[in-house]
Amino acid sequence: MEIAERVLQWVTEAGATGDLMVAEGSSLSLKARDGELEEHKVSSSQVFGVRVIKDDKAGVAYSEAADTAALRLMVDHALVNATYARTDTNEQIPDTEIALATDDALLAPIDNVTVEEKIDTVLRLERELAARDKVKNVPYNGVSDVTAAQRIFSTAGLKAVSRVRACFSQAAALVEEGDKNVMEGWGQGARRFDELDIDNIVETAHANCLALLHGEAVPSGHYDVIFDAQCQPTMFSTFSMMFSAKAAKDGINPMRDKVGEAIGDPRLNLFDSPLMDDGFGYALFDDEGSPTARTALIAAGNLETFIHNSATAAHFGVQTTGNGARSPRSTLEVQLHQFEIGPGDADDDAVTAGEYLELTDLTGTHSGANAVAGDFSFGASGFLCRDGERIQPVRNITVAGNFYEMLNKIGLIGKTRRWDMNRHAFMPPIRFSDVAISG
Amino acid sequence: MLDTPIARSVIDHALSLGADFAELFIERNQVNSISTLSSEVQAVQSGIDFGIGVRVVYGTKVLYGYTNRTEKDELCRIVTELSAKDSRDPETSGVSFDFSVPRDIHSAERTLTKGSEVESKVEFLLKADRIARAVSNMISQTRGGCLQREQCVEIFTSEGLHASDIRNYIRASLSAIASNGSEQATGGFNDGGLIGWEIQEAIDAEKTGSEAARQALVNLSAKACPSGRMPVVIGPGFGGVIFHEACGHLLETTSVAKKASVFHDKMGELIANPVVSAVDDGTMAKEWGSINIDDEGMPTQRTQLIKDGQLTSFLADRIGAEQTGHDRTGSGRRQSYKFAPASRMRNTFIEPGEADLDDMIASVDRGIYASHMGGGSVQPGTGEFNFAVTEGYYIEKGKVQYPVKAATLISTGPAVLKEISMVGSDFALACGMCGSVSGAVPTTVGQASLKVDDILVGGNA
Repeated sequence: MEIAERVLQWVTEAGATGDLMVAEGSSLSLKARDGELEEHKVSSSQVFGVRVIKDDKAGVAYSEAADTAALRLMVDHALVNATYARTDTNEQIPDTEIALATDDALLAPIDNVTVEEKIDTVLRLERELAARDKVKNVPYNGVSDVTAAQRIFSTAGLKAVSRVRACFSQAAALVEEGDKNVMEGWGQGARRFDELDIDNIVETAHANCLALLHGEAVPSGHYDVIFDAQCQPTMFSTFSMMFSAKAAKDGINPMRDKVGEAIGDPRLNLFDSPLMDDGFGYALFDDEGSPTARTALIAAGNLETFIHNSATAAHFGVQTTGNGARSPRSTLEVQLHQFEIGPGDADDDAVTAGEYLELTDLTGTHSGANAVAGDFSFGASGFLCRDGERIQPVRNITVAGNFYEMLNKIGLIGKTRRWDMNRHAFMPPIRFSDVAISG
Repeated sequence: MLDTPIARSVIDHALSLGADFAELFIERNQVNSISTLSSEVQAVQSGIDFGIGVRVVYGTKVLYGYTNRTEKDELCRIVTELSAKDSRDPETSGVSFDFSVPRDIHSAERTLTKGSEVESKVEFLLKADRIARAVSNMISQTRGGCLQREQCVEIFTSEGLHASDIRNYIRASLSAIASNGSEQATGGFNDGGLIGWEIQEAIDAEKTGSEAARQALVNLSAKACPSGRMPVVIGPGFGGVIFHEACGHLLETTSVAKKASVFHDKMGELIANPVVSAVDDGTMAKEWGSINIDDEGMPTQRTQLIKDGQLTSFLADRIGAEQTGHDRTGSGRRQSYKFAPASRMRNTFIEPGEADLDDMIASVDRGIYASHMGGGSVQPGTGEFNFAVTEGYYIEKGKVQYPVKAATLISTGPAVLKEISMVGSDFALACGMCGSVSGAVPTTVGQASLKVDDILVGGNA
C-alpha cells in the first residue's frame, strides 16, 4: 500500500519508529415501520491512525482525510503528541517482519443476497412479528450487513490484513394486554446474510414478550440466581477489567497483586479463547501482529495471568498473550477476544434443582457497575423457577452485590456449554448462591 | 467546506430522482485529548474527522449514506444508490440556497484552531491530581482527562437552506481511587461546556481534585445499601438524569412517532405531580448541551415540556414533526455525519421550586439521600428506567445516617413523575453524554434537590 510506505517513511525520517493502522468499512442497515421501509442507510468510510515512538515516548494521531497534506499533518501531530507523553521504555514497535492475513472465506464470506432481498427480509421481520398475538407494534427492528477491513503496517516490517463480515438482525415488540405492557426482543448475528433465521427471531421475540408480560416483583431477599446465556457473559464482560494487565499496570485493577492466588471457586476455569472459529471473536493475531492463543485466566479458581500486549508484558517481565488492541484513534490497550468457561461437573437437573431466579434481562450494566470495587446494582427481569420449571415471570426487581465476591459464591457449574447471542462467549450455566434481590 | 455548486448539483440530482427532500451535512471535527495517570501525562491524542452525510427523503422514508469524499460524482453516486427503489418523476427541480450564519450565542476564545494549549491543560490536570492526593494518603490513584473538540458543520437542503456553525466543546475531569488496603472505591468530578479552554477560569482545579477525593473517601466508608420501596431525596445537578431517563426520552418524537412512548397520546394531560415543570433549552449560553442551530439547520429554542404537571410539548426534528404533526423544536441532532438526525434533548431540567433540602430529608422516616447520580437507561415502550447512585446516604427518622454503596433506582417514567412531591431551590446543571438512535450527543441535565415519595431501591444489604 503506497500510502502506508509514505507515512512510515515520514516516521522513520523523523527518527522514530511507528505503525499505521488503516480501518475501512462499508455497511448497509435497514429498518421497517408499519409495513414500509423506514430507514435505508449505506456507508463507506476509512480512517488512518498512526502511532509513533520517539525517545521512548509514544504519540498517536488520526485522520479521515487521505490526501498527502492531511496524512503529513497526522504524522506531525503524533510526533508532537509524543513529546508530552511519559517515558515508557516498555512500549516499542514489536520486531515483527511478517505478512499476515485472515481467511476471507471463513471471516468475510460472500453470499448472493441482493439489496432488494434484504429489504424484503426486514419488511417480513416487522410484518410477521407485528401480526403476532397481543403485539401493538414493533418499534425497534432492523437488519444490517457490515464488512470491515483493518490493515496494520509497521516500521519493523509488519503487514497485517484482517477482514470480517457481520450480518445482524433484531426486533423488539411492544406487547399490551389490559393495563400490562412489555417490550422484549431477540436478535441473531451471522457471517452470511442468508444464515439469518428470521422465523426464529420472530418466534423468540414474541415468546419472550408473552413470557414476561404479567411479570411481577418477587419479595426482597437473597436468592440463588442463574444468569441466562446472554446475561452471564454480560456480567463477566462488565468486570473484565480484572483480567487487564494494562489496568494492573495503571494501578486500578483490584486483582493487580493476586496473580497466582485463589480468587474464585475451585471449580471455575475461565479462558480467553480466540481460536474457536465459530465465535465472532475469533482471531489468529492481535493488533500488534502477535499470534493469539487460548489463555487460561482462571484455573481451578486461581488467577493465572492477565491479558497482555507487548508493552504490559515487558513491564511485568512476561510474554505477550496476543491481546494487544488498538484502533486508529486509540493508544495501545489490551482486549479479550472471547470468553470461554470450562464445563462444570453438575448435570442440568442438578443446576436447576429447587428454587432459584433465572435472570434473562439486565439493565443499567453501563452505569450500575463499579469495576474498581466490584460492586454492582442492575435492574433485572426473568423468572422464578423450581426444578427447572418457570413458575412465575419476574419484573421490576434489582440484582446487587459484589462480583468479585460472587466468584466465591458459586453453588454449581453445569456441564452443557452454549454460545451467547453475539457469539463472544461460550459458557455453561453457573448457579450463584445468596444474591441480593430487591423487589 | 463543500463548494456550493457541488452541493447544488447533488441536491438537484436527488430532486431529479423524485425525492421530496434532500440534505447534505458536512462535518469537520478536530479533536485533542489529554489524559494523566499517576501524576504524569499518560497520552496526548489528536485527530481530524471529516465526512459528508447524504439524506434523501421520500414521504417519511429516510435514505441515508455517508462518505469521506467531496467529489460531486461520488456524492451523486450515493444519491443514485439510495434512491434506486424509490426514484420517480420529479415534482420540483432547481434549488437556490439562501446562506445564513446563525447568531453565535456561545462564542469561544481559546479554541483548537488557535492552539491546543497542552501545557496549560496538563498543568490544570496535574494540579487537580496533587490536590486530590493531598486530601488523604488513602487516595491511591487518580486519572485525569481533558477533551477539546471543534466541530464545524455546514448544511444544504433542497428547501434552499444553507447554514453553517462552529461548536467548541471542552470537558475536564478527574477520577480518584481510595484504598484502605483491602477495599477500593471511586469518586470523580467533571465539568464542561460549549466554550473554549477559557473554561479554566470558571472551573477550579482545587474543586476538581478535592471533590473527586472526597467522594472516593465517602464511598470507601460506605455500607451496603438497604433495598426495597422507599422515599428517595435526589440531589441537584446530575440528579436531573432521573428526568432525562424517565421522561425526556419518552418526549422525543423518535419514540412518539412509533407509539413506542407511553406519553405518545398524552398531550395536554396531567402526567406529573403539579409541582413539576420541565424544560429542554438549547439556547443557554455556553452550556454543554446548547447549540446555535440544530443538525438540520434550524435555530434552536427553549421548549417547555411540562408545565405544572401538564404535558405541553414534544421534542421534534423534521421527520418527527411530519410523522406526528407537532411543530419542530430545533432538536434534530446527531453525533456526526455518520448518523441521520433524530429528535434529541439539549439542556433538559426540572425547573426549581421552593422547598428546602433539609425539610425533604426531615420528612423521610426511612429512605435514601442520593446526593450524586450516575448514568442510566430507559425502555421507551414501557417507560421502565434504571439509574445508578454514585454517592448516597441512608436516612432514618429524618436524619442522614451513613453512606451507602451499590444502589440503583428503578421505576417507570409515568410512575416517578407522579411521585415527585417536593422540588427545592438549589438548582444546578451537570453535563453528560446521551446515546440514542443518532449516536452520542452532549446533553446537560439539571434540577434542584427533589423528593420522590416511593421508588424501588436496589441495594445489597
